[in-house]
Amino acid sequence: MKKYADLVVVAVVLALVPVLAGGSPYYMRLATLALVYMAWTVAFNLIFGHTKQLFLCLGALAGSAAYMTVVFTKQLELSPWITVPIGVATAAGLGALFSYVSVLRGLGIIFLGIVTLAFSLIFHNLVLGLRQFTNGETGLVSRGLGFPLLEQPMSSYYIFLGVLLVALIVYYLLMASRMGMAVRALSDDELTAELSGINVTWYKVLAAAVASAILGLAGSLYAFYNGIVSPSVFSFVSVDIPVLIALLLGGMRTRLGPIIGAAAFAVIEELVRPFGQLNVLVYGVLLIVLFVAFREGLVPMLRKTLKLSLP
Amino acid sequence: MVIRVEGLHAGYGMTSVLRDVSIEAQAGEAIAVIGPNGAGKTTLMKAMVGMLRPTRGRVDFDGHSLNGLRAFQVARLGLVYVPAERELFPTMSVLENLELGAYRDVSASEEHMRYVLGLFPRLDERKHQLAGTLSGGEQQMLAIGRALMAGPKVLLLDEPSTGLAPKAVAELYRQLSKLKSAGLTIVVTEQQVPLALSLTDRAYVLEQGSIRLSGRSSDLLGDPSIKKAYLGVA
Repeated sequence: MKKYADLVVVAVVLALVPVLAGGSPYYMRLATLALVYMAWTVAFNLIFGHTKQLFLCLGALAGSAAYMTVVFTKQLELSPWITVPIGVATAAGLGALFSYVSVLRGLGIIFLGIVTLAFSLIFHNLVLGLRQFTNGETGLVSRGLGFPLLEQPMSSYYIFLGVLLVALIVYYLLMASRMGMAVRALSDDELTAELSGINVTWYKVLAAAVASAILGLAGSLYAFYNGIVSPSVFSFVSVDIPVLIALLLGGMRTRLGPIIGAAAFAVIEELVRPFGQLNVLVYGVLLIVLFVAFREGLVPMLRKTLKLSLP
Repeated sequence: MVIRVEGLHAGYGMTSVLRDVSIEAQAGEAIAVIGPNGAGKTTLMKAMVGMLRPTRGRVDFDGHSLNGLRAFQVARLGLVYVPAERELFPTMSVLENLELGAYRDVSASEEHMRYVLGLFPRLDERKHQLAGTLSGGEQQMLAIGRALMAGPKVLLLDEPSTGLAPKAVAELYRQLSKLKSAGLTIVVTEQQVPLALSLTDRAYVLEQGSIRLSGRSSDLLGDPSIKKAYLGVA
């Protein structure tokens, strides 16, 4: 059990956050959003960190799941217990498809980035175009459709904490299995991995599918929690960029990196709030600086400078 | 026959490289495929291990047909390939490279590790160094060591001497002959013909995509046409 001590620490610390927030609805919402971004960053760590697949469609995948869930709940009056799995399966299927096509066609990291970015544009356009289902730019009201517990701040926080812990447990279990060895190998050199007997295609597609399912689960529940699902909630700027920053900041291929990175991003977001629309500029500069000068991330840096054995 | 290639044709797109190539090796035998640059030696290796689909012909290994199998499946069966580019995990340590090489059979990892570090004491000295920072000769040892960690039935080596200093080549071939004495089946391609012929039992001469000549390595070493073409003796 000692191997999972960090998971217990994360769970306990995050479970105590509402006490610190002292029931302030504003801080509760910030903390809940931070949990959603943490789950998304854990997923992105699996896709980009461990299997080097540059998915620039995180918002579109989470959004596909969210729209599928809300539209099906609304139009067909299905229970969210059925529609959330539909949304999750949609995201997982799309993620697996992008991954499979990219491996099959031998797309490099840049071309996969372009293909998935194109999907982001298509998704955005589709949401605007299918006005009769999605209500276009204005978005769909999802309040009252989903789980009653997601309408209250306190219970919502713990539901998203549960989602994050599920994501982390799935991630830990996969990494402790033979997949951990396989992705360690293939993230360093895919051909060498293949020649060592590792089914590179399978592990890349599996990582993409599992991670996309996590993106979709958090996305679908977030759509209910948010009370409204609109293109701007799942846009490139509101999902992909924060998650990229969080992962680079925290440290790729680490367990705690996505958690620390997404928490740090939540703080940064609060700090740049006074800049208004210029916040994206700050994020852009931050992303460039991270890619150019700080690709390692906080967790590996702390390991080196403070000689900590952080997972 | 542990490995048998029969009537193999292969190429890239519209360009055909190999025409009707047949080679075979018995268990415990070492064979060489020699020939000039561009003869198709690497193409032959790639077609054998599933990195390239042959257009015609078949490859059989240890009772399995390899036709249509992918590279990782071929490796899992125990036909392990070491490309000329010395494929490694460059940002990992020597030890990690070897550990990951044991993916095929993790349970025998410790035993194989002892064997490999015994065979290549230099790797033992540099255990914790990153693979990308090793010298060419050491990288080649590591690439072969990584392949041995899988407990291969047959080792395929593509031009192991490429880019190595003469001293490193000599050291490497001494280690290869130890592997051969230990009973490992080895298929090696080489441009350094005398070395390859002195290591192996039999050899094939591949020229312009076809087998031009084959026979016992010791006979080929004395063959006047081989001497003229490859050994630089008139």
